[in-house]
Amino acid sequence: MERQDIVDTVKKFILEQFLPGEDPDELTTDTPLMTTGILDSLATLKLVTFLEQEFDITVEAHEADAANLNTLDLIADLVDGKL
Amino acid sequence: MDFSWSEEQANLRESMAKFAREELNEGLAARDKNGEFNREGWNTCAKMGVHGLPVPTAYGGLGMDALTTVGVLESLGYGCEDNGLVFSINAHMWTLETPIMGFGTEEQKKKFLPKLTSGEWIGANAMSEPGAGSDAYSIATTAKKKGDVYLLNGGKVFCSNGPIADVYLAFANTDPALGANGVTGFLVERTAPGLSLGKHTEKMGLRTSPMCEVFFEDCEVPEANRLGREGAGKMLFADSMSWERGCILASAVGTMRRLLETSIEYASAREQFGQPIGKFQMIQSKIVDMKLRLDTARAFLYQSAYQKSRGKSVYLEAAMAKLYISESWIECARHALQIHGGYGYTVEYKIERELRDALASTLFSGTSEIQRTIIASLMGL
Repeated sequence: MERQDIVDTVKKFILEQFLPGEDPDELTTDTPLMTTGILDSLATLKLVTFLEQEFDITVEAHEADAANLNTLDLIADLVDGKL
Repeated sequence: MDFSWSEEQANLRESMAKFAREELNEGLAARDKNGEFNREGWNTCAKMGVHGLPVPTAYGGLGMDALTTVGVLESLGYGCEDNGLVFSINAHMWTLETPIMGFGTEEQKKKFLPKLTSGEWIGANAMSEPGAGSDAYSIATTAKKKGDVYLLNGGKVFCSNGPIADVYLAFANTDPALGANGVTGFLVERTAPGLSLGKHTEKMGLRTSPMCEVFFEDCEVPEANRLGREGAGKMLFADSMSWERGCILASAVGTMRRLLETSIEYASAREQFGQPIGKFQMIQSKIVDMKLRLDTARAFLYQSAYQKSRGKSVYLEAAMAKLYISESWIECARHALQIHGGYGYTVEYKIERELRDALASTLFSGTSEIQRTIIASLMGL
């Protein structure tokens, strides 16, 4: 899977689940997600569960923080590193 | 999914139930009345390996997978009527040992886990505050870095094992401007300067599991005792809750089995209107409901543990297991009390204590309402 495919898949999920009605262009690869509250605690669990199921990977609990999930870029890096 | 036990697992479960029945129940009525913790029972359980069931052997544990662990804890709950002691052990395992296993540095694992698995040290979790219950990340306790230590300030409530603990996993905010993203975990030793214990919290049930308030006043915690990165407390807590919700009620499944067997025995022996009350359909209906609850609860427990054993995140499965088992435990205890009639309401018959103990389970580790919120969210709602 290409890195851009990961970004597109995760972006679609975040827009549908956490930013309904938002202009897709507003969500860029460096838009902060956790530090701005788009991903609250429950949404983070939801995203982790989605990543594990969609990409058949395991996200360790200690990896599920802002250092790895705060932007689409970081999320793509995390997923890409596990594929 | 294959949930059949190997010979080794079956033997372990059987020996645990026998040990618990023979070693842990004596004097329970008095301990419950006086709110006394059974330290001797704690130590004996540690010698049996209970405290270190899921902990790798390198750190003094038995290195069991999650499914074997819940199977053994189910047997412990079946044999041990001291639900408070079992709760204390669970709190120790799921809110301190497993967070250290998942987030701890090698030095932290070597320092804390052997003492915790051997039972020498007792662990506690200090998260809840007067203004932060279900809204857990709104904690007001702060941690400010000063040189190579953090200074913690704040107060905690509902700290299980608090009065007897040697180490606390305390959550504090290192950057309140970040809100939940500033929450950080710290391993605070009992001897840390600035740590003090508040009043002992008297409870309705689980009275043999001690609880108190904990206060931090410029409490010095070495940087080496920070668990995970600054701001990692949110996932640290979520992960420990995932373990806790999926496993803490394994023993309750064993307790439900005990309640069912006790009720069948009583309904078969107790005669009214010239026949055992178990011949009356309304009593039978209650017992059938208990059996259905027990078997379904067990399925939820094993499914969650099985997924955990495969290395998968079990936020959904653990929330479902916690929700269903806790509510079923209460229903089973209520049915058992009703079947025993007036005798069930007396201390002598022990059922009233089981009900008091069960009632807390829909409150701790996230209320039933929070579990339903998590489940709905993870289903895409």
